[in-house]
Amino acid sequence: MLTIEPGAEGVVVVAGRLDAAQAPAAQAFLDGVAGVVTLDCSRLEYISSAGLGVLLKTQKRLLGAGGKLRLAGVNRHVQDIFLYSGFDQLFEIEPAS
Amino acid sequence: MTARPRQHPLSVGDLEAILEVTRALASPFDLMTMLAEVVSAAKQVLKADRGSVWLYDAASDELVLEVATGIPPVREPASAGLVGACARSREIINVPDCYADPRFDRRVDRESGYRTRCLLTLPLVDHQDALVGVMQLLNKEGGAFDADDEAVAVALAAQCAVALQRVRMTEALIEGERLRNELGMARVVQMSALPATMPVLPGYDVFGVSKPAEQTGGDTFDLQLTERGLLVVLADAAGHGIAPALSVTQMHAMLRMAFRLGSDLQTSFAQVNNQLAETLPDDRFITAFVGLLDAASHRVEYQSGGQGPLLHFHAANATCTRHGPTCLPLGAMPAASLRPAATFDLAPGDILVLLSDGVYEYQDANHAEFGEARVEAVVASHAGKPMAELAAMLETELVAFARGVPQQDDVTMVLIKREASAPAEHLDFARRIDALQDIVAFTAEAFRRQGVDRELLPSVDFALEELFTNMVKYGGGSSAPVGIDIVGVPGGVEVTLTDHDVERFDVTRAPDADVSLPIEQRVPGGLGLHLIRRLVDAVEYDYSEAARRSRITFRKTGPDATRRPAEGRGGHVDD
Repeated sequence: MLTIEPGAEGVVVVAGRLDAAQAPAAQAFLDGVAGVVTLDCSRLEYISSAGLGVLLKTQKRLLGAGGKLRLAGVNRHVQDIFLYSGFDQLFEIEPAS
Repeated sequence: MTARPRQHPLSVGDLEAILEVTRALASPFDLMTMLAEVVSAAKQVLKADRGSVWLYDAASDELVLEVATGIPPVREPASAGLVGACARSREIINVPDCYADPRFDRRVDRESGYRTRCLLTLPLVDHQDALVGVMQLLNKEGGAFDADDEAVAVALAAQCAVALQRVRMTEALIEGERLRNELGMARVVQMSALPATMPVLPGYDVFGVSKPAEQTGGDTFDLQLTERGLLVVLADAAGHGIAPALSVTQMHAMLRMAFRLGSDLQTSFAQVNNQLAETLPDDRFITAFVGLLDAASHRVEYQSGGQGPLLHFHAANATCTRHGPTCLPLGAMPAASLRPAATFDLAPGDILVLLSDGVYEYQDANHAEFGEARVEAVVASHAGKPMAELAAMLETELVAFARGVPQQDDVTMVLIKREASAPAEHLDFARRIDALQDIVAFTAEAFRRQGVDRELLPSVDFALEELFTNMVKYGGGSSAPVGIDIVGVPGGVEVTLTDHDVERFDVTRAPDADVSLPIEQRVPGGLGLHLIRRLVDAVEYDYSEAARRSRITFRKTGPDATRRPAEGRGGHVDD
């Protein structure tokens, strides 16, 4: 399961599994954000390539409008996926403390 | 019977005090002395002002409080009051303020003039899960009993229950005149300490047996599930007569107590050694293997005080590795420091073979010994059998070897086999993206049942999702379900996806994505296979023309495979 919702101070909190089944819901939510957005991933357990697609599409849209998507609190699995896909070069990432 | 785990680690001083009590409880006493010992031990360890033990009389379903020798005991139905509630629920009851609790019966205080502030009531349940009685402790020094006290009380109660049960049993035997001497009694005590049932550990076949010699011997073993893994003990106290039987029983109780309280291997081993070194006569010691098996990592961590050889049978090549002792026997001398524990890892089908010297030194009429080579041969030829059968085979071979010469020493065997891989877990899934949730649940359950390291789960989930969604997207109209098989392999797991009624499409030939492109040129998609190749060990594709069936198999081993460094790219973070 996946939840994605606004948190405090412009942060978006994503929790659970961002897989192919959940990607459309995540995309629908992120299509509505603007500006500089921090995605709190500390409770994001898992991401697949469908989830990467959602993040890439959102980043492209935000960068085009002078904003950006930043990721915070990413776990080891998600970090690995970002590293191997080169997404660590496309996002500002703050790993889990 | 459960209690909350301790909040704070036990201090070495506390552990020492509890082990001292445990050692004392393992000595033979009559019932009244033992009751007094148990109460005094509990008061001391839990810093309680008063204590009492109600014994359970199963015949009348009553709880009986022995007051003093010669005075008729107090009897209560096993349903009355806090003691009765505890006997029924077998749960610890902690009442921090008695006068605020309606279950507390104030009559006793009125009659005695004593003021009960707080009360800990705990069930005494023996190894065989039988209710022995209920212990009550009153008025904790300087406050109420807390969660740490509860945890210690539960561990102590288990020892008290066993000690009391043992005394009742020996008293019954004495009455029946079946035990004519102290040695016989000590031997009964020694054997009663052995586990009555074998612990159930998924993925493992665990078996232990001890066959006492007619006259003398000091063997014991233990197999217990603890917070830190399966506790494995095989020990042999040196010497003849009553003393070895007694000291090995004490050691058994102390080790069990230390691990119940959550102590680690090094602390437990060192503390038990030091207590034994203090209390055993100079010419006495105990050779002991004390190990912990972590069923998730399949690693055995151990100290072997003078006990050896221990055999590690390798299923892969049907040979044994022999390991020697790591330190001096227990109780030989106080140990200022202990070397780090030794370890070895069990692969599927491997067996840890722990045998007392009564096996290796079993003699025939010419004083020839059974020896290690014969043991290894028996193990190798029966390694595929259940461990209880392997133990029986070893015993048969010993008797055949001795040709009528009677058993001279205790024969004790502890055999622990990691099961050869279980049959693969299989399930079919509808060809729909929303089947992913069921696939995730199935995979996690298969990991648990096959004993696969959960560290590998995210990578396997990832590869499965990518391959499954590919099949959904490019299945060309097939409506057949997709089959998934998961099986544990040495160091990891093998997963197979089977896709029916489809054209050949070798997904493993998909090119790698160029992950160094600037963001304007990156597009969603095309990353699945690229990532799978980096997250799992190997991906293979197989197609059957006749069956129109695609099969993709991948393996994932080693917890650190995902930490391979990225190649050929700069490391700075884009801002």
